[in-house]
Amino acid sequence: MRHPILMPSVPAPSPPAFPVVLRRYGLAVGVCGLTAALIFPFQPALDLPNTVMLFLLAVVVVAVLAGRGAAVLASVLGVALFDFLFVPPRFSLEVSHARHLLTFVVMLVVSLVVGQLTAGLRVQATEAARRERLARALYDLARELAGAMSVPQVAEAVERFLLVREDARGRLVLPADQGPTRPFSGDDGLAVPDQVLQEVMASGNSTRLLRSGGYCCDVLPLSGSTRNRGALLVLHRADDTGLAPLLEALAALVVTALERLHFVAVAQAAQLEAVSERLRSTLLSALSHDVRTPLTALYGLADSMLTGPQPLPEEARVSAVAIRDQAFRLNGMVGNLLDMARLRSGRVELRREWQPVEEVVGASLKLLESALAGRALRLEGLGEQPLLEIDAVLMERVFCNLLENAAKYSPVESPIVLSTHDAGDLVEFRVTNGGVGFPPDRLEQVFALFERGQPEEAVAGMGLGLAICRTIVEAHGGQIRAFNPPQGGGCVAFTLPKGNPPPFEIEAAGEVQIDA
Amino acid sequence: MPDATVLVIEDERQIRHVVRLALEREGLPVVEAESCAGGLAEAGRSRPDLVILDLGLPDGDGARFIDAFRAWSSAPVLVLSARSTEHDKIGVLDAGADDYLTKPFAVGELQARVRALLRRGRGRLDEEAIVRFGDVEVDFSLREVRRSGDLVKLTPIEFRLLGLLVGQAGKVMTHRQLLRLVWGPDAGDNSHYLRIYVGHLRHKLEADPARPRHFLTETGVGYRFRL
Repeated sequence: MRHPILMPSVPAPSPPAFPVVLRRYGLAVGVCGLTAALIFPFQPALDLPNTVMLFLLAVVVVAVLAGRGAAVLASVLGVALFDFLFVPPRFSLEVSHARHLLTFVVMLVVSLVVGQLTAGLRVQATEAARRERLARALYDLARELAGAMSVPQVAEAVERFLLVREDARGRLVLPADQGPTRPFSGDDGLAVPDQVLQEVMASGNSTRLLRSGGYCCDVLPLSGSTRNRGALLVLHRADDTGLAPLLEALAALVVTALERLHFVAVAQAAQLEAVSERLRSTLLSALSHDVRTPLTALYGLADSMLTGPQPLPEEARVSAVAIRDQAFRLNGMVGNLLDMARLRSGRVELRREWQPVEEVVGASLKLLESALAGRALRLEGLGEQPLLEIDAVLMERVFCNLLENAAKYSPVESPIVLSTHDAGDLVEFRVTNGGVGFPPDRLEQVFALFERGQPEEAVAGMGLGLAICRTIVEAHGGQIRAFNPPQGGGCVAFTLPKGNPPPFEIEAAGEVQIDA
Repeated sequence: MPDATVLVIEDERQIRHVVRLALEREGLPVVEAESCAGGLAEAGRSRPDLVILDLGLPDGDGARFIDAFRAWSSAPVLVLSARSTEHDKIGVLDAGADDYLTKPFAVGELQARVRALLRRGRGRLDEEAIVRFGDVEVDFSLREVRRSGDLVKLTPIEFRLLGLLVGQAGKVMTHRQLLRLVWGPDAGDNSHYLRIYVGHLRHKLEADPARPRHFLTETGVGYRFRL
């Protein structure tokens, strides 16, 4: 890919050099001299009026070749030479007759007028040619920009367009996030301090930096409809006032092209995302349904055997219990996998509402009724916490996973503690068990996907639970960590921001109670 | 309840078998259907007192059945669903279902839910003067609540909420339904009020408010009162 900043590929323009001016006036002098020299030998044969005509012709020639200034010089010089060489007394500037004076005045006036008109025509012709070139270049540029498929193509087209003006040069600067920007080196008048660029892009107003030699560098913002898309730098003659509308038109064209490219890219990305999102949710719900149906049958059939009117023989009972429990665990794993797929598949969409934590914990405990059966569970400080703005369904998964883990990795007779602590802007929750704790060198890794705290252990699991917890807690703006408290066991602590709970007006007093 | 017929609409034969077994052990006659359309035809024929409906039927999402069924019957509907989103659950409850059970489910749990729904279908609890649960006794005619014989003071809103939940025992009430019934149609977004008041009821009437046995939370959906 080409670099978005394009170096001008031709040397920078220079102001018209002094010799050019000199040459123009030299031409005037030369043409007048030559005219005089050519007429001189034929002087006796020519009348004075004819001589005047020839000098007027010389002025026209000078005006066509060298412009207004030279034409004025040629007019004055012509009158002087005419007087000096051809009007008696010859070889003197003296004027013997008043009628000659009139001739000089008329000749000077006519020369000046003819010279200026001729030079004006020449300027207009040049200007017309230049306009035509410019119009063609603008047309080409518009066509190129309309067909541009990438930002470098746009930059290239702009650069090429400005080359049409032999005394102007330009380049495009894009915001840092639109492509790699190398600091622009080289002192060709197009190097602009970063600070100036930032100011122009931020304010949306163009600015002008003066350069040597009567030149200046215009910095034009490329203000798009939604954001700034960069800046256009143009080096040109400071006295070239006619350029301003052209540059504005150019900037507008470039912005349109850049925006078009941007929105095409955005639309493509959105379409791609929509397609993959649809595919993902279709797959997930199909998997969810197709796996759960046989699991439900398996679980239900085993449970039916166990709850039937006739007690099963001991051996069959043990098998039925095993089938039921394994089916239930498999269901839990499928659930965790689906949760993880949903949470990891892009943005986690939270349905946050202000919730009493006690209620979310209570619902989790209800779900874990069988997993925590027979375990001593202590809850500390739950009822005292303020409302938290959380997604109750996801936080329920966090509490379930943490409590289930705590139970799984600790002896049956040891207690599990769920406590809450005030921590400034945060509320901290801790789930502590009486097990062997986490491996001290893997306190961070246990939250990674498919990592297990105790790899060698015979406890079943896939290492998804804590990874899910971390994703959910972090989506809520909290943090989660594992540590081994000094008094033994393992502990997972996570924080949730308190936020600004909505107002709650205590109901006006007015008891329903009618004392009996 | 000898004449309470249950209609089971489920396309998976094995799951239908499990449900039938569980219901027949409760002494309930069972009729079966495998699709939405078949379920509607069977419902018209057998006039069931309870419908157990699978949400993933081949010819409809189950909500269609509820819509058509509710047009002429108020018999309770228990929905069976693979763990779906809370949005889907609220959808079927708003359509007129009474309760839902997530697959896989324990037989005992299914039987308990069926009992609760059939009991509600036979006679509304809020028409009874006195309701007892745990160590609590609510006397609706006297507007009195006693716990272990001691008077418990409730605010008017708490009492209204208690009456609603008890009256619909066994049925899942969505947040929106409860908000509208207690605070009126303009209740809007103040669902935290509902949660706080349910918390108050738990603290006044439950033995362990963090592990409620009667005022149960259906996370992301609403509440269910269990006797």
